Amino acid sequence: MLEILTPLFLSLIVGGTLVGIIFGAIPGMTATMAVAVCLPLTYSLGLENGLALLLGLYVGGISGGLVPAILLGIPGTPSSITTTFDGYPMAQRGEGEKALRIGIVSSFVGGIISLIVLWLFAPTLADFAIKFSYVEKFLIIFFAMTVMAALSSDMLMGVFSGVLGVFISLIGTYDISNGGNGELRLIPPGTEYWLESGFSLLPVLIGLFGLAAILEQAEIGVPKGHSAKDLQVGKSSSFSFRIFATNGVNLVRSSLIGTFVGILPGVGGSAASIIAYTNAKTFSKTPEKFGKGEPAGIIASESGNNGLTGGALVPLLSLGIPGDSTTALLIGAFTLQGIQVGPLFIGNNPVTWDAMIIAMLIANVAMFVMMYFAIRYFALVVTIPKHILFPVILMMCVIGAYTINYGIMFDVWTLLIFGVFGWLASKIGIEVAPFIIGFILGPSAEVYFVKSLESFGDLTIFFTKSWIAVLLWVLILGSIVGSVLMSRKQRRMNQ
Amino acid sequence: MKINRRTLLAAASAVALLAQPMIAQAQNLPRNMRMVIGSKSTGGDTYQASAMVADALSEKLGINIKVDAVGSSEAFKVLERDKRGTTIMMFHDQAYLGHLYGVTGYDDIFANYNIGPTVAINPGNAYLVAADSPYQSMQDILQAAADGTRVRVAIQPGGVSEIGFSAMKNAAKVLNPGSEENIVPVNTGSQSDKNQAMWDDLADVINGSIQGNEQFTQLPADDVKAMRFVWITARPETLEQAPEAGMGGTSRDEMLKHASPATSVTLDGSKDFTFDKEFFLLYNKDMDPAVSEAIDAALTEIYADGEIQKRQKEAFFMPNFLPAAEAKAHLEDKNATYAKVIDQISAGN
Repeated sequence: MLEILTPLFLSLIVGGTLVGIIFGAIPGMTATMAVAVCLPLTYSLGLENGLALLLGLYVGGISGGLVPAILLGIPGTPSSITTTFDGYPMAQRGEGEKALRIGIVSSFVGGIISLIVLWLFAPTLADFAIKFSYVEKFLIIFFAMTVMAALSSDMLMGVFSGVLGVFISLIGTYDISNGGNGELRLIPPGTEYWLESGFSLLPVLIGLFGLAAILEQAEIGVPKGHSAKDLQVGKSSSFSFRIFATNGVNLVRSSLIGTFVGILPGVGGSAASIIAYTNAKTFSKTPEKFGKGEPAGIIASESGNNGLTGGALVPLLSLGIPGDSTTALLIGAFTLQGIQVGPLFIGNNPVTWDAMIIAMLIANVAMFVMMYFAIRYFALVVTIPKHILFPVILMMCVIGAYTINYGIMFDVWTLLIFGVFGWLASKIGIEVAPFIIGFILGPSAEVYFVKSLESFGDLTIFFTKSWIAVLLWVLILGSIVGSVLMSRKQRRMNQ
Repeated sequence: MKINRRTLLAAASAVALLAQPMIAQAQNLPRNMRMVIGSKSTGGDTYQASAMVADALSEKLGINIKVDAVGSSEAFKVLERDKRGTTIMMFHDQAYLGHLYGVTGYDDIFANYNIGPTVAINPGNAYLVAADSPYQSMQDILQAAADGTRVRVAIQPGGVSEIGFSAMKNAAKVLNPGSEENIVPVNTGSQSDKNQAMWDDLADVINGSIQGNEQFTQLPADDVKAMRFVWITARPETLEQAPEAGMGGTSRDEMLKHASPATSVTLDGSKDFTFDKEFFLLYNKDMDPAVSEAIDAALTEIYADGEIQKRQKEAFFMPNFLPAAEAKAHLEDKNATYAKVIDQISAGN
């Protein structure tokens, strides 16, 4: 095994992780994009070295998303959406560095736990994953959707906003590649040319969270930026590892949720952090603090999305089926080298398997070291005067939107449309967080719901399919009841 | 040797003279070219086939070619807009099958675009059953349909995945008219969905590929995930180009047992239906013909060199270069054949 650890192998992991962090930290750039850009390089590097680079990019890309999510309120990647809910409020009250440290430690733990699960149980878990049919996958998405209620400050408006998000996510073609019929729907007449493929997720995301925030700031006038002193940059007095002592269960549970969601092909990376966040809030003694700068929210979100990294490799390496969009690209690296991935991969390729586990481990350690000790420099972003920072963010958002689908101008228009929508939404009471959750989960919910009915006939199947379905209903009901009770408590407190 | 300005000038002139043919060819071409592909995946076979050709063309022509995985809908739109030759498109048979099946966003490529050269075949399109399935062969499946048993086939509708299913129905109709009604589609999406349909007992037969499903055929028969090939749609002459060792645990000879003529899915009672998934270039209708000619000439040289074939075979593609004119005739012929199959099975419905 030691012969794998060449200087080139190690430097590719570290270099890949660094580039991945940078991609993840720039709004609009994602881990998927980082892997896609570097995929052709792997042909000349050989399989193990190529995978070292790609896995470094993957771990770095997923982790880097927490930086803009916390400091700017713009999720660097879709999977860091829930990190903004508590990370940004903490940054606004001068705890940006603390929030970043919490996020980085959580990311590291999530990554390591998922790696252990991958290493020990990959084939067994793949066998378990195939017990999840359309029905169970729909219920998982439905469970993730219950977070809409939990995130709302006004339950009715929150649920309405979430449903509006689902509605807008369904605009476009009912995609054949998802099992749809290829027909256009919900498109206003005359806009078919642009809306044929609907609105892309990332431009919507950075429009709602990036551009809208800039427009709001522009409306109220450019405020004074935080000083380094405000942020306690350079000091870590406010951060202590003791915070994890009271959040140990949350940390491990969220990491395992992330890993588990990653194992299920097609459920999607964003769902991992959303479900982890929902659970953390449901089981918290102080759920009312979530969304206002609660460290437990960051812990759940970041350990959940990094837990995904190992989980998504389980179906890839045990079934030949990628668990998320980034691991879908890894298949390209294997096939470029003439290696088949499927149920026999681990047994037939022990050296490659070992190399991947080692690469993931080193990538997680490298991510932790690089981010944890570079934090004071990241946090300085908030001290940049807004009249300089905002145009740079705007430019990055536009570039990110334009490049996400390899140069489609309508994605830039999408960014602008949803930026204005996000700005107006707060004025008319539409809540952006439930809206975006609905937008992210809507397409999967639709496909799995329709396919469940097509496959099994009627609605009773959602209750009778399996014990897994029953268990999921218990979780769904628990989450809904918890949200309603919390909403009532909140209302009483307000009165 | 002393290197002075005169020596340098002489060396530069020599390099310029040697590079003359390449520059002469490239001067008709834009310096930067975008190769859009009909898939959004950068991990799939369309991207792989395109990347290999783009690399080779870039080197031969001395221009930059970048592959962009924008998906079919956007790729057709971009190609339609760009008459300058700065955008070309790579896609496969889905380009015309989508139109034949009436899928939104697919126009008649033969009428609206210029057909460029074919470059490679992915011979992997296949149909599989569960290891414990009562069906041992396509003959069993067609016989079951004739005997009144409903056979459910998981496909992604509207293209490459469906054409084999259409051929099954057509064969059933030719052999036992009316029995085609018993071969029914289970519309799914990705390969993962098709596999899952089999494991959930929602489908008796699934569409898959040699590359994606071969390892499942090597699992012990008592493994719930185990599968068997019943049909590989590629032409035998295409499969014969594959390495003798085949792929994974399935040798080329094994593959040939599941392809025509050993496994017969009749087209018309005398000929077998076959389908090769071929990759080819598409151009804007009004693009300067000199660009198309330059690409044809460059690919002729590239395939004469033989290096690209090695790279393609390593990735289980079968090299299949046909210059634009021949490619057009060949693809029109395929289009006509498959149109007939689709018409025949639609006629009774």
